[in-house]
Amino acid sequence: MEITLNVNGKQHTVEVSANTSLLDALRKLGYTSVKRGCNDGTCGACTVLLDGKPVYSCSVLAAQATGHQIQTVDSLGGQKTGWDFTLDLHPLQEAFVEVGAVQCGFCTPAMLLTAKHLLDKNPNPTEQEVRDALSGVICRCTGYEKPVKAVLLAAARMRGDEEKAHQFAAEVMPEINPVPQVEKYHHVGKPERKVDALKLVQGKPAFAEDFDMPGMLIAKVLRSPVAHARIKRIDVSKAKALPGVHAVLTWKDIPRVPYSTAGQSDPIPGPLDTFSLDNKVRFVGDRVAFVAAETEEIAEKALELIEVEYEELPVIIDPEDALKEGAPIIHDEPEYVNFGESDPKRNIAARIRIDIGDVEKGFAEADYIFEGEYEVPRAHQAYTEPHVTITYWDENDRLVVRTSTQVPFHTRRQLAPVLNLPIKKIRVVKPRIGGGFGGKQEVLIEDVAAHLTIATGRPVKYVYTDEEEFIAGRPRHHMKIRLKTGVKKDGTITANEMYALSDTGAYGGHALTVVGNTGHKAMALYVGDGEYRKHPNIRFYADTVYTNTVPTGAYRGYGATQGFFAVERHMEKIARALGMDSIEFRLKNAIREGEYHPFSLAWNEGREPAPETIETNALEEVVKRAKEAVNWDAKYGNPEWHKVPGKPHLRRGIGVAMLMQGTAIAKLDMGGAFIKMNEDGSFNMMVGAADLGTGSDTVLAQMAAEVLGVPLEDIIVTSGDTDFTPFDKGAYASSTTYVSGAAATKAAEQVAERIRIRAAAMLNARGDGEEVSPDDIVLADRKATAPDGRFVTLREIGFNSIHHENQEQIMGAASFMAPASPPPFAIQIAEVTADVETGEFWVDTLTTVADAGVVINPITASGQVEGGVNQGLGYGTTEDMPYTEDGQPLVRSFKDYHVPLAPEMPRLKTIFVETFEPTHPFGVKSVAEYPLNGVAPAVANAVYDALGASVDIGPVTPEKVWRASKEKK
Amino acid sequence: MHLEYHRPKTIDEAVALLAREEPFTVPLAGGAFLNAQSRPPAIPQEDVAVVDLQDLGLGGIKPRGNFIDIGATASLQDVVESDLPKALREAAHIETTYTRRVLQTVAGTLVAADGISPFATAMMAIDARLTLAPNDEVLLLGELYPFRWEHLRGKLITKITVPANAKFALETVAPSPLSRPLVVVAVAQWPSGRTRIVLGGWGEAPHLAMDGPEPTGAEQASRNAAYEAADYRASAEYRREVAVVLVRRALAALE
Repeated sequence: MEITLNVNGKQHTVEVSANTSLLDALRKLGYTSVKRGCNDGTCGACTVLLDGKPVYSCSVLAAQATGHQIQTVDSLGGQKTGWDFTLDLHPLQEAFVEVGAVQCGFCTPAMLLTAKHLLDKNPNPTEQEVRDALSGVICRCTGYEKPVKAVLLAAARMRGDEEKAHQFAAEVMPEINPVPQVEKYHHVGKPERKVDALKLVQGKPAFAEDFDMPGMLIAKVLRSPVAHARIKRIDVSKAKALPGVHAVLTWKDIPRVPYSTAGQSDPIPGPLDTFSLDNKVRFVGDRVAFVAAETEEIAEKALELIEVEYEELPVIIDPEDALKEGAPIIHDEPEYVNFGESDPKRNIAARIRIDIGDVEKGFAEADYIFEGEYEVPRAHQAYTEPHVTITYWDENDRLVVRTSTQVPFHTRRQLAPVLNLPIKKIRVVKPRIGGGFGGKQEVLIEDVAAHLTIATGRPVKYVYTDEEEFIAGRPRHHMKIRLKTGVKKDGTITANEMYALSDTGAYGGHALTVVGNTGHKAMALYVGDGEYRKHPNIRFYADTVYTNTVPTGAYRGYGATQGFFAVERHMEKIARALGMDSIEFRLKNAIREGEYHPFSLAWNEGREPAPETIETNALEEVVKRAKEAVNWDAKYGNPEWHKVPGKPHLRRGIGVAMLMQGTAIAKLDMGGAFIKMNEDGSFNMMVGAADLGTGSDTVLAQMAAEVLGVPLEDIIVTSGDTDFTPFDKGAYASSTTYVSGAAATKAAEQVAERIRIRAAAMLNARGDGEEVSPDDIVLADRKATAPDGRFVTLREIGFNSIHHENQEQIMGAASFMAPASPPPFAIQIAEVTADVETGEFWVDTLTTVADAGVVINPITASGQVEGGVNQGLGYGTTEDMPYTEDGQPLVRSFKDYHVPLAPEMPRLKTIFVETFEPTHPFGVKSVAEYPLNGVAPAVANAVYDALGASVDIGPVTPEKVWRASKEKK
Repeated sequence: MHLEYHRPKTIDEAVALLAREEPFTVPLAGGAFLNAQSRPPAIPQEDVAVVDLQDLGLGGIKPRGNFIDIGATASLQDVVESDLPKALREAAHIETTYTRRVLQTVAGTLVAADGISPFATAMMAIDARLTLAPNDEVLLLGELYPFRWEHLRGKLITKITVPANAKFALETVAPSPLSRPLVVVAVAQWPSGRTRIVLGGWGEAPHLAMDGPEPTGAEQASRNAAYEAADYRASAEYRREVAVVLVRRALAALE
């Protein structure tokens, strides 16, 4: 039927079916600012205003919207005509940019429209009203802290209340204890606006799916309904015969190449156990067939027409069952390629046995032995942009893969053998990414679209559905962890032992490295005190096993998250048993500056170990600031504080977790940068790094701008295109600011040197002063200035170098390999109120104090902390992905998987205690991962403090608290 | 999948469409459930024709003597912003997020509800009555749930009526403030002393624990109602014990 839609005041006539959603109609009309997220009425990314009210356009039919005024984010602000699309921002857009409310930007149009509705209705909302209004838009990046403040800021400005506006703008800044080196910087350490924020608040077509091509086909995948089976028979003849279907592929049609989907450097540190399509399925949601058709409806119909006969096999759900004698073998394919100690006949994907020092001697020297068992769940990254890939042949017969990936270069390298194409025939383009958090450190769907493009010659688009994200994504590993710790009466740890049983699901991507980090990070923090510091006794054994559940992968924290839940619960129990202050006990045993990282001599992500010393560690100051911030001494151990006046069924509790992480993978992670100067004194900076919303493009530009003496707007950043940017290993392992930032700095220094040489020559040629040496030239304020104050502008240098004399392209190219993996250190403190009778509890505050080296951008860095805390809170309280005994996933969509929403966030506080890490030109360490890792154990410890309920299995739910309370009694 | 879309101008026209044998035709209110990729189990899973109710004027919340009429297409956010009893407004508020509350209608929410829904639990406790076109037939919400589509086929909910003179309280336990609750207890008490307790948090529909002339035996009745309340989110034992606690609190909090 033909309908007319009024969008942003313009009438559009469009042909739709009875089933067409408003979302599809709007995107078909070119309104790509309306984002397709879960497409199921939960994430909120597709929000538009209908007669001024926010609605999910995926849940409204296009036909329902006729006769109504539809408003998208394109309508906000003034008229956008002419070349400059940055004019006339709406005060909300301006505020979002100003306070760093935009991270990945995928939810930003929805947030802006919802906020506009609120302010139209209520110009002076309270913070709680803002949070309630935003409750229907899931943001996984920001923890909602800065978006909420942005709305309050915009509201204040629109009311003309500058005092309040100033207050809200100031509230987004973290507290920082700076190092002296930062004082001289002009850009580093400053809250610069994100270089990509403008396009995102305007909803411009930046993301993978915001791109269309004529003749593009839609891909769909038939997925297994059973957890473990051989495909006895598959008949695709009816599907192939359906008009509009262009290809149907099964395992019989494509090369049988074993590979790993884990996006990692070569050689992949894990088994090669995956095929694009196979004659066996290993989990509910495993791939059975690919279809490419002219429309989504036809592709879905074709899937229904494929006939499959399965020979079902016994199923393993519990990882402990995987190791039992006679267990079904999940990987019996002869092509399986082992890595390290993987042993598919025993369902072992990876194995680690590390002994540091003499653990048994340490136990023998202990006054007490503490043992405990802990369990942590599968957890989904819950990025709101689904996986999206578009593939096509370009005019040079090269395969272009436009994909939502964190690892464009690994994707190119790993796809090549799977597709039987040379690397040089593939170009991978990373557009804007709508969050990843590790979930897109995976070559997960690119091969599907690519196989179908190869089969049809046509462009193909494949978008994961909400259900596919949950049943066939790559969530965090479920683990069971045993700990044994020897302690002396004075609280000195004499030996520490961990065994981790990690469930990799049906395939073993990241099987070794995730669990390796469980020990490498969480077991490295507590080395013991006194003589034990010099010779810590640590044992870390781990088995990663296959089960018939969703394959797991990388998720922010990368194994350390699981490890710290166990270790920090365990340390809490020990401290309390010894009658020691929880924080003081931890600090007494924590690793210190100048000491060896105990694991650095034993393990390095499946590669050669690289000995490392802790160069910087401000844990003592971190602890001091944290205790002050939460008034720890007035609360911890104070019975009066634990009472809630007038509510005898409630108790308050306070809990802590101490943390360390790493920064990149030492002696392996490498990234490159290329900078060239333009005539006007601006610079193009090409980096292979993949900004997935974290702000890495911005902080890399800040470092380059610092060296080149220009404002950030003069650095034009292009990132993540395998044809046009240098190699970078991608966005993972907390490496980008450190590795790619150092590369950008080195490249900028090369450029700066050429500028100084030319500037000196230009000044000396004038003959109006003393001879000046290039070494004396200072670059600042877009000028190259001599000690006597004479200067040439960078614009003059740009024109001079390109057009006027001794012509050259001023440029620099550099790469940087991580020489070490300097750990950031942190402490997180949770305060809760818990119900004695029901086990229900609310988290009231979460405080994070960290030594993350020099903070390049306080706004983006604190945004990383706040987002990580949001994910940690979900991990600790609501997020789980259970399975039935026959392998059916009980969580199949965002509707079943509750992530913390804006009104649910506790009060957040972030403090940075800076150190200057000497292995980096600007002294940085990583900031992104530890904020997630401590929340769950800190919350569990706070509940323990409130009720005495010791919950050792995550997430901490009311029933577990209730049961633990009963056990205590 | 929707086979047809209709937007009638009158209730008679809508009812005529809904009464057709083929294709299966259902009312479309906000669309939060029917237009979703994954429809709730209570909503027909097959291909349907939809009848959009937006032009029928079925919104609004109006007092009528000792009763309050809630229009079928009034939104949950309308309930939140209304003068309805506080606990009912709270039930609508915690039912879902703001944007969904704008989208979800009261009738749609009740028809699509599972046993976890705080709003359906609350409305069942307060003994909400559905008025159905074409003949203004009255159906109690509690009667709807066992046979939803047998009752509704060919009919249209036009309004939902709740008493204005009953005291009402709601208590919940959830993993987080806006996540789906594990246990919901809704208690309504009329001036006569009649007390009605409904439990939610699991299953396909809310569970009537008691409807008696006074609250005596409320705790045991609640324990009994949660006897088989186990699912992957919580055990029956937990729900039984917590229901007793919440019933006690709700009775004390009646207002």
